[in-house]
Amino acid sequence: MFDTALSANDLVFLAKGAGITILVTAISVVIGTLLGILFGVIRVQLGPVLAAPLTFFLDIFRSVPLLIQLVLGNAFVGMVLQLQISGFTVACIVLSLYTSAYCAEIVRGGIDAVPEITRRAARSLGLTWGQDMRYIVLPLATRVALPSWIGLALGVMKDSALVYVVQVTELLKSTQILITRLQEPLFLLLICGAFYFIISFPLARFGGYLEKRWSND
Amino acid sequence: MKKMTLIAALLGMTSIAGTAQADKLDDIISSGTLRCAVVLDFPPMGMRDESNVPIGFDVDYCNDLAAALGVEAEIVETPFPERIPALMSGRVDVGVASTSDTLERAKTVGFSVPYFAFEMAVTANNATGISSYEGMKGFTVGAVAGTYEAIALEAQVKEWGEGEFRPYQTQADVFLALSQGQLDATVSTSTVAQANVQSGNFGDISVVGFAPFDTDYVALFAKRDEYGFLNYLDLFVNQQVRTGRYDELYEKWVGGEVPQLMVPNVYR
Repeated sequence: MFDTALSANDLVFLAKGAGITILVTAISVVIGTLLGILFGVIRVQLGPVLAAPLTFFLDIFRSVPLLIQLVLGNAFVGMVLQLQISGFTVACIVLSLYTSAYCAEIVRGGIDAVPEITRRAARSLGLTWGQDMRYIVLPLATRVALPSWIGLALGVMKDSALVYVVQVTELLKSTQILITRLQEPLFLLLICGAFYFIISFPLARFGGYLEKRWSND
Repeated sequence: MKKMTLIAALLGMTSIAGTAQADKLDDIISSGTLRCAVVLDFPPMGMRDESNVPIGFDVDYCNDLAAALGVEAEIVETPFPERIPALMSGRVDVGVASTSDTLERAKTVGFSVPYFAFEMAVTANNATGISSYEGMKGFTVGAVAGTYEAIALEAQVKEWGEGEFRPYQTQADVFLALSQGQLDATVSTSTVAQANVQSGNFGDISVVGFAPFDTDYVALFAKRDEYGFLNYLDLFVNQQVRTGRYDELYEKWVGGEVPQLMVPNVYR
């Protein structure tokens, strides 16, 4: 098993793939979270009936498998819109919308978790809607939503392995390329798994740290 | 009023027709990049070297095409089933991916004339003295069970009425049996035969000739309505053969007798 043809060069190749995974994940999680907060707040403010079209739109992203979203999104951009944009951009757009759909649910849940009475009290004290959202809802909702959000971010990081279908060479695809050449699937997948672990472990720990810190006060 | 609408509609149509004049060939030249779909797990047509850079017959062919157009080549790795979807979604401009030019596929994409042909080659253990397809008569032969060449070879052995046919599970098993003397000769695609002979893993064996089975012709493909570009591809394939570049690439990646790209007794 340790008699491998894997060279330092190949490890650099894998590290580059890991870099792409991190980049795609970072872009998608940031954009997806911002959009998710927007969508979540809109859904709470408008109520279930008025927000129905938005809910339906987001449900599409939650219920269609990501792989299919990527393939169809890619085909839509190329065949219908006739745009010449890179697979990387398509991957980021689709993954951002996918993230935003889940994040909107998390945000909605977080806002709903703030007691109605607390918010009414805030408004009675003369706070505007914006002040209520910023000083009352935000701190309370964030505490409730954080664990789910960390879970979502880690999930998106692993789901990003699917962007190979739009010709983005991320970590898993790099591993598959090496497997094709070196014919050592188990050893290479072990290394690939280690890379994923190294990427996600700090994020998971950071989430745990924040949770612990915020629960004390 | 109706007349005015009609005129407006006609004017609208002509203006659309006017803007659609730049075709794929122009687009590629003006964009400065030719994006080729290449299968990179199909040696020696497409594979990667030690630094994971794409190499192979198809990769060189794409580079030649880009050089002829005066643009940069971009190799887009596409697995076998993704070749045509990648073209249809506009992710690549042309497929240089060892694609058989079937009529079924031609309903979706446009094919050039064949640029490569996978022929069935006879590989024999040198100790047997077999030197041609006919020379296998009376010997023990084998191939991968269920493949086209195995079925044809078995039928041939029956027709000869002497010798024996043995089926094997994988291509590697066949060559192992050949090197150990369990088999005297086998029939497989020429590229596989050459690759295995050159690997040196199978002892004293060599490719001794072609088997007279159907040839698998493969062609370049592009969007089927891009006639300007398809026409260019046809001429490019022709030029590759005419200038000897085809022979050169065949020698570099495969080796041995170069297969004919023409089907006898028919045009194109």
